[in-house]
Amino acid sequence: MIRRSLPYLGIALFVLVFALPVVWMIGAAFEDPARAGRGFLPTAPTLDNIRAVLADGFLVRLTNTAIVAFGATLLSLFAGFLAAYALARFRFPKRLDVLFLLLVLVVKLMPPIVVALPLHALLLDLGLLGTLSGLVLVYQLYTLPFCLWMLLGFVREVPVEIEAAAAIDGAGLLRRLWHIVLPLALPGLVATLIFALILCWNEFLFALLYLQRPSRFTLPLYVATFITEDETLWGRLMAIGLLSSLPVLLVAGYIQKHLLRGFAPGTK
Amino acid sequence: MLFTDRRQLALLLLPAALLLVVFALAPVVQVAIYSFQSIDYAADTARWVGLENYVTLFGDWFFRVDIGNTVRFAVVASLAQVALGTALALLLNREFRGRGAVLSVVVYPMMLSTLVCSAIWRSWFHYDVGVLNGALGWLGLPPVAWLSDPGLALWSVMLVDTWQWTPMTTLIVLAGLQSIPPEVVEAARTDGARTWVLLTRIVLLLVRGQIFLALLLRLIDTFKLFDKVYALTGGGPGNATETMSMYVYQKGFSFFDVGLAAAASVVMMAIACALCAVYAAQAMRGSSK
Repeated sequence: MIRRSLPYLGIALFVLVFALPVVWMIGAAFEDPARAGRGFLPTAPTLDNIRAVLADGFLVRLTNTAIVAFGATLLSLFAGFLAAYALARFRFPKRLDVLFLLLVLVVKLMPPIVVALPLHALLLDLGLLGTLSGLVLVYQLYTLPFCLWMLLGFVREVPVEIEAAAAIDGAGLLRRLWHIVLPLALPGLVATLIFALILCWNEFLFALLYLQRPSRFTLPLYVATFITEDETLWGRLMAIGLLSSLPVLLVAGYIQKHLLRGFAPGTK
Repeated sequence: MLFTDRRQLALLLLPAALLLVVFALAPVVQVAIYSFQSIDYAADTARWVGLENYVTLFGDWFFRVDIGNTVRFAVVASLAQVALGTALALLLNREFRGRGAVLSVVVYPMMLSTLVCSAIWRSWFHYDVGVLNGALGWLGLPPVAWLSDPGLALWSVMLVDTWQWTPMTTLIVLAGLQSIPPEVVEAARTDGARTWVLLTRIVLLLVRGQIFLALLLRLIDTFKLFDKVYALTGGGPGNATETMSMYVYQKGFSFFDVGLAAAASVVMMAIACALCAVYAAQAMRGSSK
């Protein structure tokens, strides 16, 4: 009996360790600002922290983050989908496809700080330093290799026979892409979209380096300024944390099933 | 004749190739060029200095400390995450009610932004009113200076990273475990293998590929370490938690010593490429199976 329940005890312990900090965050967000963070459950639940945060420019940062995340993701989905299709279907001369994929892999795995200086110069030249569109462009470094890698798997799963049949009926490349490949790869596109959005949603380094005006800040940057300036306003800090994580936590159940594809290329 | 048109192929690849070249490949080349130059922003001039930046870099005691910190962090944190992740994956590799819900909760940490994780843990590490010292006090133990003790700070950052990323290693190993045909385990069991022997000799051997892959991915990721250090300790106390990424950041963006920062970037890139090569070999072996 004890032997049997031992594994479940282990699981419970792990779940507790992973969940407690998140539970604490939620508790602190709803606790009286003066007492926030001292316990796990609010003694006198209040919306004061949430209200204060909403009144203090949270929504602007939320909008900024959403603009950058959707901009970068959509651009990468477009470019990545076309390239993934080419890599999945076309015959490349001289194994250039392998070379291209290796390049994508290196970009995906390299430390982003390596290119921080040249990208700073590039954004300055383009007049996009400190702008959200500049951030959309440099985020391609994260989102494009990611989208390409993921979409490659999904496009490969679309049976080539349907496309061949349509081609015989005279459908050109664009029509086949739009009417056959895109609808069939749609579940994959949606999964990729969500992951890429989360990737941008949580990105910190480039936002720190290339955004200067607080009114342009994204949420992680907002959290960072709050951590360093107001050390112990935990109620407010956790309210920001909770509000900015809410979209991500809500989809956790759905993405848990697809997670491996996104974070660990090479595993199935 | 379908899928052989070179013009179509070029058009399909164009947007992605353009973005990759402009925002990744060209900057890598650019940073390599910077590393052989001395750049004066005020006068807007650059002159070639050969290997001078590299000589300065490797003579810099701070850089050597940062390499040490980065390597120690990457190795210890990755190994801890793989060990814990494998343990949890073995526990979760069974059918039970609520398994889906458990998995959803387990992946929470890796879904949160690193900054939010750091905000939570920075509060937990607080010397006077943090949860961890509160728990120690409750147990009758003295408080610990989690982030301000130079000997401990890096370990505290490792703890946060392990909390955040053990879920990922769990999922990778779990995927491997679930692809083991039940007959293999059954056959071993009827041959009289005891549970522990079964576990170590057979099951772990069968998922060694996934375990290695998880380790590599965590090594590659922890090697970049920046956000957590920035938010938890700012590199301190002293330079006890400074990493190579922090070094590039400080030299390049605070002291504007572009040449030196670029040289450090090139060193980082070389290490990343080496890890990447091992990863590519392993991933391709995995996909050809």
